[in-house]
Amino acid sequence: MVGYLVFLAISTGIAALFSLGLNLQWGYTGLINFGHVAFMTVGAYTTVLLALKGVPLIIAVPLGAGLAALLGLLIGLSTLRLREDYLAIVTIGVSEVIRLIVLNEEWLTRGTFGVQGFPLPLATWSPNLLMRLMMIALLTLIAGLTFWRMWQWFSKELQQGKTENRFPVGSLILGMASSLLGLAVYVAGVMALYDYTYKAGLMVLLLLVLTVIFWQMERLARSPWGRVLKAIREDEEVAKALGKNVFWYKLQSLMLGGAIAGIAGSFYAWQQTSIYADDFIPLTTFEAWTIVVLGGAGNNVGTVLGAIIFWAYNTVTRFVLPALLPFDDARLGAFRVMVIGLLLMVLMMARPQGILGKKEELTLGR
Amino acid sequence: MLAAYGLGKSFGGLRAVDDAKLEVAQGSITGLIGPNGAGKTTLFNLLSNFIRSDRGRVIFDGEPIQHLQPHQIAQMGMVRTFQVARVLSRLSVMENMLLGAQKQTGENFWNVWLQPKQVIEEEKQQRERAEAILESVGLAHMAGAYAGALSGGQRKLLEMARALMTDPKLILLDEPAAGVNPTLINQICDRIVTWNREGMTFLIIEHNMDVIMSLCDRVWVLAEGRNLADGTPAEIQQNAQVLEAYLG
Repeated sequence: MVGYLVFLAISTGIAALFSLGLNLQWGYTGLINFGHVAFMTVGAYTTVLLALKGVPLIIAVPLGAGLAALLGLLIGLSTLRLREDYLAIVTIGVSEVIRLIVLNEEWLTRGTFGVQGFPLPLATWSPNLLMRLMMIALLTLIAGLTFWRMWQWFSKELQQGKTENRFPVGSLILGMASSLLGLAVYVAGVMALYDYTYKAGLMVLLLLVLTVIFWQMERLARSPWGRVLKAIREDEEVAKALGKNVFWYKLQSLMLGGAIAGIAGSFYAWQQTSIYADDFIPLTTFEAWTIVVLGGAGNNVGTVLGAIIFWAYNTVTRFVLPALLPFDDARLGAFRVMVIGLLLMVLMMARPQGILGKKEELTLGR
Repeated sequence: MLAAYGLGKSFGGLRAVDDAKLEVAQGSITGLIGPNGAGKTTLFNLLSNFIRSDRGRVIFDGEPIQHLQPHQIAQMGMVRTFQVARVLSRLSVMENMLLGAQKQTGENFWNVWLQPKQVIEEEKQQRERAEAILESVGLAHMAGAYAGALSGGQRKLLEMARALMTDPKLILLDEPAAGVNPTLINQICDRIVTWNREGMTFLIIEHNMDVIMSLCDRVWVLAEGRNLADGTPAEIQQNAQVLEAYLG
């Protein structure tokens, strides 16, 4: 149970990190990136291949993120001058090209055999009691920050509910559910850290990176830089008319989102401890789209929440559905994906702006 | 201040603008009129380089600008508005205004981290400036609202106010009075006159002749992409060719 919760926390964290990159590109800048997984592929393979050559991880990871950003630069230079739908087509093409290169260039990536046995962070480390306690303290700090942020959000909802004379029942249920889940993961994390395992260490590292990146993304979103991105999303001609170099800002958004996806790729490789070209299929991109749409585009909190819901759903259906339905494994897998689609449709009808999106934004005229 | 010579642009076989000439004197309010389809808006697009011209030269502030990108021209101090007001719907009115400010430290990615204090300081100053301008166009009470919630006339005002935020030398207004009620038209004209006295130069496309005649120092007439006439409003009103072009 503890092991599974740690696995769940890591998976959620990777999905959240990955989707934060997409949220920057699509949610804030309006770039339709259907090939987000390409950045993850580049990040993951660069990190592990360099690590196998003896490059320290602390250098390999930034290099992976840098190469992912470079890929963003190349995609952007070739397509961003065209209309935005071309970007959608080109990106999905690029992500498949990258996957096929990884699959076929065996001298570099070992092709279908995948890459295994690469160095992992904190793997050979056996921390003493003091170090373990410090990591627990760090985890507690992150958990505290999360709960504080959630409380802020809920009290805002409560305030708004008061002015509209209603009690935010939905928000309360959502808040309670995520709090319980968060608490369970926190307890499991503390237990796992106390009897230190590699995965527990990875979880703390990932949560730390996620917290820092989330915080910086929030800061960027509120900065004048973020304002230009939002303006481009709304109407790039206006941004141009006001003297903003739209092309350059789009490039920056694509590159930064790509770099974040690259870091998510490194963590993905470390969690799996072996990577194969077929891990990086377009479905991964569309999972991130599901997460961003679910939470509410242009909303970093929503994106993280979307990742949590996505993985909670994954877990619940994996354990609960087999007990209820007389399906074999393959059918069950297909059924779960079907239900995701159905849920998304229901959500889009009932709450087209996403869970944390603002409804009034949808009713605005152009 | 702004001069264009021999400007031409064809769309397929259609010569939208053909050998057009235009001059805008510093400190003036210059009008650009012509029947529908005369190529006025296309000419605006050529001046601000939103559309590349096939032929001709554009000189702004003594420098040729036809090879520059639209945002570079805006940075030089020539800002345009659009025929149908374009506001950033899902940003607040205040955010729309703040976007107009030029040379913002915080619009550079690294400066968000490297100079956080200066970013906050500038943001505060720009906010005060924006509030003053919003006050002058009567939109101060809407500062916190989504720009998409504004009415058509208010959008026109916001667009003008936002152009003013860039602290420009020359503003190109594309039909500022179109689709606006008479009271608001008067208000818009008042604003233009006030800003003009403060040293701003204007080039205005407009169909409302009262607006043109009362505001402009000089009027250029375009018909079928070519210059038809230019002169003072009084001269234009007497010009037989112009009357014919308008009345058919």
